[in-house]
Amino acid sequence: MAAPKVAFLLLNLISILPLLVSSFSPDRPTDRRILVVLDDLSLKSSHSLFFSSLKSRGFDLDFKLADDPAIAVKRYGQYMYDGLILLSPSTERFGGSLDVEGVLDFVDSGHDLIVSADANASDLIRNIAAECGVDFDEDPSAVIVDHSSYAVSETEGDHTLIAADDFIQSDVILGNKKIEATVLFKGIGHSLNPANSMVLKALSASPSSYSTNPSSKLSSQPPSLYGTAISLVSVVQARNAARIMISGSLDMFSNRLFRAGVQKSGSLNKYEKSGNEQFITELSKWIFHERGHLKAVNLRHNKVGESEEPSMYRINDDLEFSVEIFEWSGSSWVPHVSKDVQVQFYMMSPYVLKTLSTNGKGLYHTSFKVPDVYGVFQFKVEYQKLGYTSLSLSKQIPVRPFKHNEYERFITTAFPYYGASFSMMAGFFIFSGVYLYNK
Amino acid sequence: MARDLGILIIAVLVLAATCESAVLSPVSESHRSAALELFSPADGSYGSLEETYEALKTFKVLGIEKKHDIRTSSCASVADTLKSTSSALKDFVDALRVNSILKCELNSEAVRGTQSRFKDSLNGANSLIDFYYSIGGLVLLKEQMSEVDVNLGDADRIFRSIKALGQSDGRWRLSSNNPESSNNAAGIALEALAGVISLATPQIGNSLITTLKNDILKLFDGIERYDDGTYYFDEKHVGARGHQSPLSSSASVVRGIAAVAAATSETLNLPGEKILGLAKFFLGVGVPGSAQDLYHQIDALSYLENIRQVLWKLTFFRALYNKAHPDLKIYSSDLDFVAALVRVSTVLGSPAPTLSVRLMQIFVSGSKDASVIDQELKFDAVSGMHVLETLPKNIDVGSYVFSFEVIFHNPEHKKTYVSGGRTRVLVHITGVIKIDNAEIVILDGDRGSVETQKKLKLPGDNTVALSANHLQKLRLSFDLSTPFGNAFKPHQAFLKLRHENGIDHIFLVGNSGKKFEIILDFLGLVEKFFYLSGRYNIQLTVGDADMENSFLQPLGFVELDLPDAPEKATRPPPQAVDPYSRYGPKAEITHIFRAPEKRPAKELSLTFLGLILVPFFGFLAGLVQLGANLKSFPKSTVPSTFAILFHLGIAAVLALYALFWLKLDLFTTLKALGLLGMFLMFVGHKTLSHLASTSSKLKSV
Repeated sequence: MAAPKVAFLLLNLISILPLLVSSFSPDRPTDRRILVVLDDLSLKSSHSLFFSSLKSRGFDLDFKLADDPAIAVKRYGQYMYDGLILLSPSTERFGGSLDVEGVLDFVDSGHDLIVSADANASDLIRNIAAECGVDFDEDPSAVIVDHSSYAVSETEGDHTLIAADDFIQSDVILGNKKIEATVLFKGIGHSLNPANSMVLKALSASPSSYSTNPSSKLSSQPPSLYGTAISLVSVVQARNAARIMISGSLDMFSNRLFRAGVQKSGSLNKYEKSGNEQFITELSKWIFHERGHLKAVNLRHNKVGESEEPSMYRINDDLEFSVEIFEWSGSSWVPHVSKDVQVQFYMMSPYVLKTLSTNGKGLYHTSFKVPDVYGVFQFKVEYQKLGYTSLSLSKQIPVRPFKHNEYERFITTAFPYYGASFSMMAGFFIFSGVYLYNK
Repeated sequence: MARDLGILIIAVLVLAATCESAVLSPVSESHRSAALELFSPADGSYGSLEETYEALKTFKVLGIEKKHDIRTSSCASVADTLKSTSSALKDFVDALRVNSILKCELNSEAVRGTQSRFKDSLNGANSLIDFYYSIGGLVLLKEQMSEVDVNLGDADRIFRSIKALGQSDGRWRLSSNNPESSNNAAGIALEALAGVISLATPQIGNSLITTLKNDILKLFDGIERYDDGTYYFDEKHVGARGHQSPLSSSASVVRGIAAVAAATSETLNLPGEKILGLAKFFLGVGVPGSAQDLYHQIDALSYLENIRQVLWKLTFFRALYNKAHPDLKIYSSDLDFVAALVRVSTVLGSPAPTLSVRLMQIFVSGSKDASVIDQELKFDAVSGMHVLETLPKNIDVGSYVFSFEVIFHNPEHKKTYVSGGRTRVLVHITGVIKIDNAEIVILDGDRGSVETQKKLKLPGDNTVALSANHLQKLRLSFDLSTPFGNAFKPHQAFLKLRHENGIDHIFLVGNSGKKFEIILDFLGLVEKFFYLSGRYNIQLTVGDADMENSFLQPLGFVELDLPDAPEKATRPPPQAVDPYSRYGPKAEITHIFRAPEKRPAKELSLTFLGLILVPFFGFLAGLVQLGANLKSFPKSTVPSTFAILFHLGIAAVLALYALFWLKLDLFTTLKALGLLGMFLMFVGHKTLSHLASTSSKLKSV
């Protein structure tokens, strides 16, 4: 009895939530309004588990057919959506004003994107993926085949339903809970552009996989994509914190594969349910900024023993530095606890690079001595961690040398010189008296 | 041959009839669990009566015993709705529909009241929806309450006024002032017309029914088709009721046709292919994710089964048996294996009538050659499956297309069942492939003589350690053969060389007959290898969909000694950076401060200070020795005052110097020194001139 009540309450909450938080803002980085572009409305039903998991997390989904003439993400210069899901692999062009540039501008302005290709993906989808650093196999008939780690199935025997379990090792991207069951994948593979450092393989293929047309024999050319170079699902986090997920399989989002049992070939473990639901749900949480979004506030520094922030340091001063870092948990900002936040004292190159210690409540602090080099320095916190939004803070601070009267005055080593001068002076005083008044 | 097979595992996998579509399963357990999940009432009741009806209907068709006790609450809400005078017509109809399943005990007064409501609105109806609900309501009343008089006197008029909304293409408009027509409306109209027919006294004229039948056939002309033989009714019209998906409009049409078929009790002569195509469409949806879609799917399938029994052939692999796999059911004791099993059922999964399944043809996958076989499958009554007990003799490991046909024992069934003719199924016969004579050899380039030769165990652990230079060749060879001893060409036969720095090179291993061989002539490959000497790991991958023992095996490594790269050689491509190392914390940097100057020990400085002071004391001792005195110090008041001031001034300057050392800066010192200097000039002049005049007096005396 309790469960339906809770569900009812939740439903109420969900219906109110969009009113409370109408859109994406730096204070609440989770997306709210999402445009879902489909090439067939039946996907709404066949992929409903995916959509209902998004809806139950408070997202406001707007479904549009890819050839809908009213499709647009921008109106009067304002973006109407925070996220875009393109489940339209065969669309050659969108119906409305949206095009490749439109999608890229959408991402460039910090919005999130999920793209799914499939066998026979259109050039449009390939181009969008290519702009994100992902190159799908150019052969339009090629799909991923793996004769060693396929999913055992009663009805399919061509080894194109892949059981993949080579996930990216990141709790923030895939959640704390380990994905036990393998993920079912049926579709095309892609390779990552080595020049792009933003794109990561979220799900990699096994070493024995390759990309080919399973119904025709291989010609004399080896396949262009093979082995672990193949990525099945990739994620991108741009510098502006926009996140992109690119998958080569539309089926992996479907209810059928969400619910399917899975047994990987050669393995005795049989799972009632594939890992797809967990994988996709956790990944979508990351994509839509329910996780892994950091903010840094209160960057402070002062001389040891003082609390005011000085306008300038002198060389060799001892200083204290602190910054607070919080992580968005989907509903509130919680302290981010990590041991690898570092601060740089930087002028052209870092003079000091120090790991900050934390109190576990979000405050990171350290202290160090200002180098004996004067000039205009910066405190720099460049925090880049797999899966988290990158933090890049800097604060300028000049460092001056000693003033002329700040040097050491009474140097013991110089006492003979001083002694000589003063004995000389005393001698002169006595001598002048004696010389003038001697009789 | 059969004996050979005995030692193998042979799997027979069955794929789709055509390559474009997957095997569709009839409604199964997954639908039932989905139905229970999707139609789970909150607080013991559903949101609306419409939802309640959809849930009840779905449960009924799927044969689910009502798990949730919603009868009491639903019946109460049915009674409330019927009693209320303000309820909309639709609510009455939904209430009656729920009642038709739940059979609540209803107050007949209330029911009579609704009857008059329906009749009134029927008389005033002008839109299709009004007709639909009022007629639908009356039909339901007639079914549930035999005592209520629901017969229509002016059935012909109503029939014609609904008919007037029909279009020439078989579609219908929702009302006379709305020009847009839709398939969904056609389904509604057909249902309404079927209601009119069943309510009419006297009966509707035959001519009207004939035109209605033509309308239905016209509707089927506008049906949409996918390449794989799936048919559906698309919906372009977006009306007041929102966008109708193809699923709901197809379901609506099916419901309408079923109603007409039931009301007229005539055969409609619907095209069997399209009915099967519709069934494919509904099954192709799989397990829908929304409650309404599930209702449409299940409801439509149940009607499809009634209009014309639609058979679904579900073929699947299972089977094989081997003594090593006692858990698999052995269907036949004296045969070495059981091949394809074919289950024939209706779309809703109920068993088919007596029939036989025949294997008609076998094609080798990818070629047109067919061997014609006419073999009847044995029916296994216990499992309800048709079993192909012996495979034809010439079948070896590989992919084949089996063509099955359903033949009814009772000729009557041909009229009532649609079976879809021949079904072509892709079958993979898999087996363990024998790998022999595997060896890896380094050949000397010029003479072709064998330098090193290593036997390999495939599949198995191999760690060969080879070394070669650019003038030598590497040869890898092995034989593959099927259990029957025939040549086998796997889809995937790759040799991979991976350099230490992560650059891969992949080569296809070619074959002639059974023998697979690849020769790598390093002289021709130096360019491709970017002149990178060093250790290359060798990996062999052999795999095929029909090969049970596909493998990926590291074989060891070859240490290559290649010439140095010339100036213009292409550089190896950049390798992707490992994401885990890219993000780690950087090494700490601490500033190295300038070392302080080296200073002598304090004692040393102080000793020297003492030594420095020695001459001063020597000077004092000298003065004493010489008998220095101050006897000529002026005695008179004025000169002595000046002399005292002069010496105080010198002392002040010296004190200023001491202060300069202790605390003052240059500017303060110079200022003070200036003032003191002027004072000293004055008093010094006075003192010295007094001393000069005194000494000149002495001289002159």
